[in-house]
Amino acid sequence: MTVSQSHMPGAAEHLLDVRNLKVHFQVSDRTVRAVDGVDFHVKPAECVGVVGESGSGKSTLVRAISRLMPNLRVSELSGDLRFEGHDILGMSERDLRALRRSHGFSMIFQDPLGYLNPTHRVGRQIAEALTFHGKGRSDSQRVHSLLEEVGFSDPKSIAHGFPHELSGGMRQRVMIAIALASDPKLLFADEPTTALDATVQLQVLQTLYRIHKERNMAVVIITHDLGVVAELCDRVYVMQTGKVVETAGTVDLFERPKHSYSARLIELSAHRINFRSAGL
Amino acid sequence: MNPQILSLEGVSQIYTSRGANGWRRVDVRAVDGVDLDIREGETLAIVGESGSGKSTLAKMLLMLNHPTMGQVTYRGSTLKTLGQEERSRYRRQVQAVFQDPASSLNPRMTVEETLGHVANRHNIVAKAEVRSFLAAQLAAVGLDPPEHYLGRYPHQLSGGQQQRIAIARAIMLKPKIIIADEPLSSLDVSVQSQILQLLSDLRRTTNVGFVIISHDLGAMQSIADRTAVMYKGRVVEIGEAIYRSPIHPYTRLLLDARLLPNPRGTRIRSPAPRSVAPAASLATEGGCRFLQRCPHAIEVCAAVDPQLRPMGVGATHVACHRAEELSAAPTPM
Repeated sequence: MTVSQSHMPGAAEHLLDVRNLKVHFQVSDRTVRAVDGVDFHVKPAECVGVVGESGSGKSTLVRAISRLMPNLRVSELSGDLRFEGHDILGMSERDLRALRRSHGFSMIFQDPLGYLNPTHRVGRQIAEALTFHGKGRSDSQRVHSLLEEVGFSDPKSIAHGFPHELSGGMRQRVMIAIALASDPKLLFADEPTTALDATVQLQVLQTLYRIHKERNMAVVIITHDLGVVAELCDRVYVMQTGKVVETAGTVDLFERPKHSYSARLIELSAHRINFRSAGL
Repeated sequence: MNPQILSLEGVSQIYTSRGANGWRRVDVRAVDGVDLDIREGETLAIVGESGSGKSTLAKMLLMLNHPTMGQVTYRGSTLKTLGQEERSRYRRQVQAVFQDPASSLNPRMTVEETLGHVANRHNIVAKAEVRSFLAAQLAAVGLDPPEHYLGRYPHQLSGGQQQRIAIARAIMLKPKIIIADEPLSSLDVSVQSQILQLLSDLRRTTNVGFVIISHDLGAMQSIADRTAVMYKGRVVEIGEAIYRSPIHPYTRLLLDARLLPNPRGTRIRSPAPRSVAPAASLATEGGCRFLQRCPHAIEVCAAVDPQLRPMGVGATHVACHRAEELSAAPTPM
């Protein structure tokens, strides 16, 4: 599906529909157009990648969508943002919280340690995310089953431990468990494995993919690593200086890139130009 | 083959820390008995995951740390016993480039002040000629026109430009070796390839040697003459052909974990093991330290710690009991 089609009535089938999103920042006397007129959508149970280099606006895009923006420096925030037809930008804090707390969207970040409370046990931090819908099983049972779902074979001891006792990959799994606690339809993952070693990255991504499939949960993954996108995503947006320069199905993008910037990114990450063979 | 310039013999670095819970002191062997020869003008890559000891090794080469055991020798003399003058000469001949250029440059000094400070400290050029000398250095790292950059502060430069300044600061002393600790990992891919290009140009024009510490095997494959793979403080494989014909199971694991931009790849989409094993204990008394993760382990691996040994073909050395069998087996890639 192309972007132009999203303007048709069929757009209602989109889980998330973003049109002409603009986010501008005021930095001293300059206006930075971090996101400058982006159309973006996510269908239910789809895995979408957003790639670009630093400064391309990919993180700002998803932060604006999930309304995690520091209002202070934003000079313009406009566009049409709809999640299951609800207008996100016009939504009250209360409704927004309800959306984040149950069956809406969740988010995980690059540096899990920065988002985990070092003084609380892991289990309590996951249970916190559950609080608003305590029905049926007890909190601790639900925490344990979430920890099992993200791949811990001994959820009890993990729940009882503190974040500093876990490795980087385990912390990211805990973050995923917290994000899953609200039973989201859409998960935003902002560079989820950039801080991890390659072997651990692969394991965490495999887990993320399994959960995406088992729960039929849509995933938006932001990354600068085309390798992650290639193997994980169904569809990709390529961003450069605040604009989407290309959007395509993953196989199409990698095998027939239309924009020169996409082609260059792919080429660079594919072979890293072998200098010596270039006759130097 | 070029003569060796730096060599490590049985080098270990042991840090003492408190245990995870309790007050008992625990020794962490960050580097555990490494022998390594670095030859003049070669580019040696040191790769491994976090915690493998590669940065600790770099610190010892830079004389920021002395090894707890073993010794580092530079052209035949042990670093620890260098006199003041020799030490100063060593510091000039062995230069450093770090991961995050923003934090390795003084934010309150302009490029001219940063580089001029080094030039004056080492008396490498007459006072009157400093400015033109610095301009030439900037041109050498691809910052053109140089006058445009001399008056700038680090925050006015992009990450790639900052890293070029850090490289200029290292090469202006005409070092024999540059130790670069993760020089690419804070940069975007397009900038990474420019910096790799710059390093490879510098090597050709100045014959400087590089020791590059990295976790990025793809980038190292394009620039390294030799690559050493470290695991838990040891070199487990070293050679020229480790990317094409890896032998050690850990090297294979690292190469296999790379995600290449192949949309038909199936490593992520392959059915994942439902659960991950809890982190294996570090205790590998006597046996191979890769034992718990190794798919090829046999009895001897639990009993005897394998030593690095030559593999006959090429210059590859591997620390694995089953190296011969594994090198005969087809490579996973």
